[in-house]
Amino acid sequence: MSDLEAFRTRGHAWLESVAPTFGRDARTGLSVEDDLALGRRYQAAKFDAGFAGINWPTEWGGQGLGHLEKIAFDAAEMNFGMPNGYFGISLGMPIPVLMRFGSDKAWAKERVLAALKGEEIWCQLFSEPSGGSDLAALRTRAEPDGNGWKMTGQKLWTSWAQYSDYGVIVARTDPTVPKHKGLTYFWVDMKAPGVDVRPIKLAGGDSHVNEVFFDDVKLTDDQRMSPVGEGFGVALTTLMIERYVATDSAGFGPPIELFVDLAREAEINERPAIEDGRIRSAIARNYAMRAGLEAITRRAMMMMEAGMQPGPEGSLNKLVAVRSRQKLSELAMDLVGTSDLAFDPHASTKSDWATSWLNAPTGRIAGGSDETLLNTIAEKILGLPQDHRPDKGIPFNQIPA
Amino acid sequence: MSLLYDEGQQAIATESRRVLDARSDKARLLGLIEQTGVIDTAWWDTAREQGWTALAAPEEHGGLGLGLVELGLVAQAAGAATAGAPFLTAGYGVTRALLAAESSDTTAHWLAALASGEATGAVAFAEQQAPLPQRPLVRFAGGKLNGTKHGVVGGAKADIALVLALSDEGPCLVLAELAAMTPPAIASYDPARCSADLTFADTPATLLLNGPGVGAAALDIMAAMAVVTAHEQVGGAEALMGIARDYALTRKAFGQPIGAFQSIKHRIAELYGLIEIARANAIDAASKDGTPAFFRAAAAARLSATEAYDTAARDCVQIHGGIGVTWETGLHLHMRRARSLAVEQGNMLWWEDRLVTDLDGGLE
Repeated sequence: MSDLEAFRTRGHAWLESVAPTFGRDARTGLSVEDDLALGRRYQAAKFDAGFAGINWPTEWGGQGLGHLEKIAFDAAEMNFGMPNGYFGISLGMPIPVLMRFGSDKAWAKERVLAALKGEEIWCQLFSEPSGGSDLAALRTRAEPDGNGWKMTGQKLWTSWAQYSDYGVIVARTDPTVPKHKGLTYFWVDMKAPGVDVRPIKLAGGDSHVNEVFFDDVKLTDDQRMSPVGEGFGVALTTLMIERYVATDSAGFGPPIELFVDLAREAEINERPAIEDGRIRSAIARNYAMRAGLEAITRRAMMMMEAGMQPGPEGSLNKLVAVRSRQKLSELAMDLVGTSDLAFDPHASTKSDWATSWLNAPTGRIAGGSDETLLNTIAEKILGLPQDHRPDKGIPFNQIPA
Repeated sequence: MSLLYDEGQQAIATESRRVLDARSDKARLLGLIEQTGVIDTAWWDTAREQGWTALAAPEEHGGLGLGLVELGLVAQAAGAATAGAPFLTAGYGVTRALLAAESSDTTAHWLAALASGEATGAVAFAEQQAPLPQRPLVRFAGGKLNGTKHGVVGGAKADIALVLALSDEGPCLVLAELAAMTPPAIASYDPARCSADLTFADTPATLLLNGPGVGAAALDIMAAMAVVTAHEQVGGAEALMGIARDYALTRKAFGQPIGAFQSIKHRIAELYGLIEIARANAIDAASKDGTPAFFRAAAAARLSATEAYDTAARDCVQIHGGIGVTWETGLHLHMRRARSLAVEQGNMLWWEDRLVTDLDGGLE
């Protein structure tokens, strides 16, 4: 058995052993607050067992293993429905950036350990009302104030901000230069005076995203994590940290087997749905598409194991998987018809078609909309021209609103 | 099994692509589709000279002892070039059947002849609209075949045919020599395929396989040919995506390259997605040859590659506008090939259905 296989086996055994305490069944019916508390205990147990920060250096509290070990564990963990969602962004982006760009190393190390144990949570404050896909159009201002800075503005769609202790943020420090050039990257204390977090209830009923208002919030210059005016580069680094993460060819919706089960039970005009050509076609096409995405992922893993750089086709997973999950969920709901309309807003998107359908649009928008991803493929992979950008090269404060 | 090409496999990919790029001649291919019953002999000579016919044949029969992965790479290059002569895929199908049969002088003779490219093979499974009939109408009795196989790819030019027939004991696979037959090639939309209806009338044939395993053996041969074809489709689709991309970069409208319009660039980006999914499935299926997971992987490859090539043909022409529908531009070579490959080795409808039968509890 390879080291990777041994690690995978050990990880799986540990997950099995704690699943009764933390897994899907243990979470059923919990309030968000109780679930978060359970999540914090799970994260601490994960840390103690040596499965937190798998691919981080040991001096930062990590395990010093490779990216493949991390993906292997994440993929296994996904099957148990563990309460780890609260820490995904925190440990995925802000904390690695803090390790790399934090100026006070001792303080950063304390924060990294606290985050790894689930004691503290970090959020990432990028999107704004005036710009989601167009990150560099952000309007939150940070102005020099004594030895530090004073920040005012509004962020939007910030996941888990209401539970966060700290956040990383990009703000405009110079509106007189073109939009990408006037940005600076900071960390911010989410409990500081002037920070106001207001949860936003989403269509599916949950409120994990927020709008966050900053009203003359004071920042010391130690909180600056990029040179002044070079925050956009650090923000891009953040987005590139985890190019290959554990993926799900089902687009975080139900597996195709669940659809086959439903088609076996359902009827269309008093005939078994599984014998209906339209249903068979949908099953086959989805199966082929998912098999292809899984093969892309397996090939990428093999390349990384061989010390090679995986190809850009890994970026297809989110684009292709989520929108097909959306359609398949609609078809599943058609099969159910009016026979079972009871809706459980707390059901998992991985096991409930209606929940999967209602939450699917979020997956097609967050973390790069379908359209943005298509642009990226066209421009970065295929070498097609950039879209027409009328604001290019124009000082930010002269761009027509 | 590995999904990564080793150095030898990468060399096969590069070399076959290089040779076909150098020898591809659009005028010759356009000329071929104005005739019926003419194969691209230049291509077949190249295939023989390069040893492509021998790639996946065993060494003891004059082959190179490689497999589906390598043959797939050559098929991909052939697909990009819309190369004529359909014998690479069918010859491989016949080879698989010969290897599955009890070995004899006959099997050894034809295995060697197929590997050298001296002989060409066709696979005659389909009848009417059934790609793989459960109870074939073509009969095999007393060493003789009777009945008609429809639209056999390469049937007008092949030396031998692997035929799925019905004997008194049930379905069987037999080998028929076609030398005495002169079936007329069908004037199809892709005449270089040289398809023909093969009508057997007391035609002598050699029994290769009979008994309860015939259905599974025929399905396995069909799946293997589908995987070769999937590679060919990926090659064609990828070539079309490149043509579309290049055209979108050079053609200008409204003061900018048309590739700067999202309606165009997103169309091409969607093709990229379809092609990479099909490619990953094709590689995955080739690497699973001989394992229990082969059939599902082959079906996934077949479905995604057909979708990719059909869509690429449709969209590439659309992106070209008027110039795309002219005879000279030759995009219709790909349009025609995309459709022939889509209906050979079982169409989408058949594969969708068989795959779901398998997912719903296994094949009978």
